[in-house]
Amino acid sequence: MNRFLRRTWAVAHKEVLHILRDARAVYLALGLPVVMLMLFGYGISQDIDHVPMAVVDQDRTPASRRLCQALVAGSDFVREVDLASPDDAEAALRSGRVKAVLIVPLDYGRALARGLPAQAQILVDGSDGTTATIAMGDAAGIVTALSAARAVRSSLNAGPRIRVRFNPAMRSAYNMVSGVIVLILAMVASLLTALTISREWERGTMEQLFATPVSRLEIVMGKLIPYTGLGFVQTLLVLTLGSYLFDIPIRGSLGTLFVCSMLFLLAMLGTGLIASIVAKSQLVAVQFALMVAYMPVAMLSGFMFPIENMPLWLQGIAHAVPGRYYLTTLRGVLLKGNGFARLGEETMALAIFAVGLLAVAVWRFRRRLA
Amino acid sequence: MSPDISVRVKGLTKRYGDFVAVNDVSFEVKKGEIFGYLGANGAGKSTTIRILCGLCTVSGGEAEVAGVDVVRRPGDVRRAIGYMSQKFSLYLDLTVAENLEFFGGAYDLFGKAYRARRDEVLHDLALDALEEQSTGALPGGIRQRVALACALLHRPQVVFLDEPTAGVDPDARRNFWRVIRRLADEGTTIFVTTHYMDEAEYCDRVGLMVAGALAALDTPEGLKRTFVPGRMFEVQGAGVAEMAKVAGDLGLLGIEPFGAALHVRVADGGPDGETLRAELVRRGIPVTRVSDAEVTLEDVFLKVVGGAARPAKAPAEERAS
Repeated sequence: MNRFLRRTWAVAHKEVLHILRDARAVYLALGLPVVMLMLFGYGISQDIDHVPMAVVDQDRTPASRRLCQALVAGSDFVREVDLASPDDAEAALRSGRVKAVLIVPLDYGRALARGLPAQAQILVDGSDGTTATIAMGDAAGIVTALSAARAVRSSLNAGPRIRVRFNPAMRSAYNMVSGVIVLILAMVASLLTALTISREWERGTMEQLFATPVSRLEIVMGKLIPYTGLGFVQTLLVLTLGSYLFDIPIRGSLGTLFVCSMLFLLAMLGTGLIASIVAKSQLVAVQFALMVAYMPVAMLSGFMFPIENMPLWLQGIAHAVPGRYYLTTLRGVLLKGNGFARLGEETMALAIFAVGLLAVAVWRFRRRLA
Repeated sequence: MSPDISVRVKGLTKRYGDFVAVNDVSFEVKKGEIFGYLGANGAGKSTTIRILCGLCTVSGGEAEVAGVDVVRRPGDVRRAIGYMSQKFSLYLDLTVAENLEFFGGAYDLFGKAYRARRDEVLHDLALDALEEQSTGALPGGIRQRVALACALLHRPQVVFLDEPTAGVDPDARRNFWRVIRRLADEGTTIFVTTHYMDEAEYCDRVGLMVAGALAALDTPEGLKRTFVPGRMFEVQGAGVAEMAKVAGDLGLLGIEPFGAALHVRVADGGPDGETLRAELVRRGIPVTRVSDAEVTLEDVFLKVVGGAARPAKAPAEERAS
């Protein structure tokens, strides 16, 4: 074994001991991801159902009852209370007891029977924007289906048939979990390394290290190796748990998944190292890492907000967010069954980020203290 | 550089903006010598050490350590030196053995050679039984020896110790200096900074740093002879002002407060203690006692600095030991 490898190994071995002695590091690497996965996967769901609904049925015909039943049948809505008059609807929404009100006017059934346009009204509480949007979508879908059934009979045009591929049930967990995996790796991986070099600056051991023949490349490599190992275990844990708990299929190539995950991991470890090198204090390094690793992934990766809807300049910035490429890869491999053939561009981008960020870390890491 | 010179510094200068941390300093340190660098905090001691260890750039001048030009090739000196920084920078979550193993690895020591050397160093520093102890749980004095052990593993030609005894109890300090003396006798050059005056007495030669400049450099005895010549007496019962009035008549060279008493210096060949007391009483100064006192490096320091930047005194109980 040559000297470079031996000294790198000395640093790596020391770093492993630090990790083993520090319960926080293990919790951060393996505990926090599980907590986050549970929180995002179970706690935060965009599958809105059981929306409490009030019903004002002035029609009281089989047709109006059918409409009510259709809305409640899929458990999208729950018939919470019946109101006598449309005037009570406002108060019911205001009190927050219900989020939607169905108002069926008096001649609804008769109009339908005559083949005339029949109108019912659904009021939705818009102060809770997300619920409102989804409730409206659900209601529209149900009503369309109901009238389509009639339209076929009356030979009217039923409009285009829409079918959702790769996630036919439109389960938000599919999107959520892949996004959360990206978020977890970005956050935890960058935090792990953010602490490692700033800690040595703070304790004065870095100066001691600089007085030895160990080079900066050896220090960075030695620190990277154990955290890559830990990050790998973490990635495996998150992917396995994510797909097991939330029934996420892995339809595509495991090789692509592995390579891209490792590249993304290295990019995030590199980001943490840069934070650690620049900041020289653990507190600042942690904040810096969260700023440059976690925030962009949360905001600009397309996980929470679609990139296509951003203004052009923001779309430009989003190109510089590694998490975006990893998210595309994850969704591609997990849901679409893709491999390198279709994800070449993303793999390349991730490789460039990994190598580039680590190179910057080594370059920024000056031996000279002043 | 002749083979018996370990450190050679010529016109060394280090500036931080307008502040001159090290100002045109020149000196040589012989092989196997204990070279003390004495000065107040901020006088430029640590900066000099860090330059010599290749940890810091230089604004001007030359510096050679163990035959390596540290101004041009700061990286090449590392194998030849051992460095112990102010904080005994060890990894406190690792055991003594793990710290040693890491620093051994950093200096390319491994396998059988490493283990043999480790045992030797542990034995020399009386750390044998402590290998498996967590470094963070050890008292300061032992931690200091562990840090020294880490710095000695690779048998450096020159060892730099930056305030090695700060915060260490008196007993441990004396033990530490015994080890340092033995190392020097075996041919290792020791470059040590301190602001404890009593410790400077252990050094073969002492350089006095004042505001970045080397104000004096000699053996402790030489410094005393040059800067504080004559005999020193401790005088009790007199004030500085009244003594100053009679200083000319009696040929007093210096009057310094020392605790509740005064340190009064007379020229060689001047009056002895009893005569001095009689003369003072005759002039109406109510002296109760005059006794012989020893000239210390502290007197030298005060003389050189002129009381401007007084270094920290060793606490009284430590001086007593």
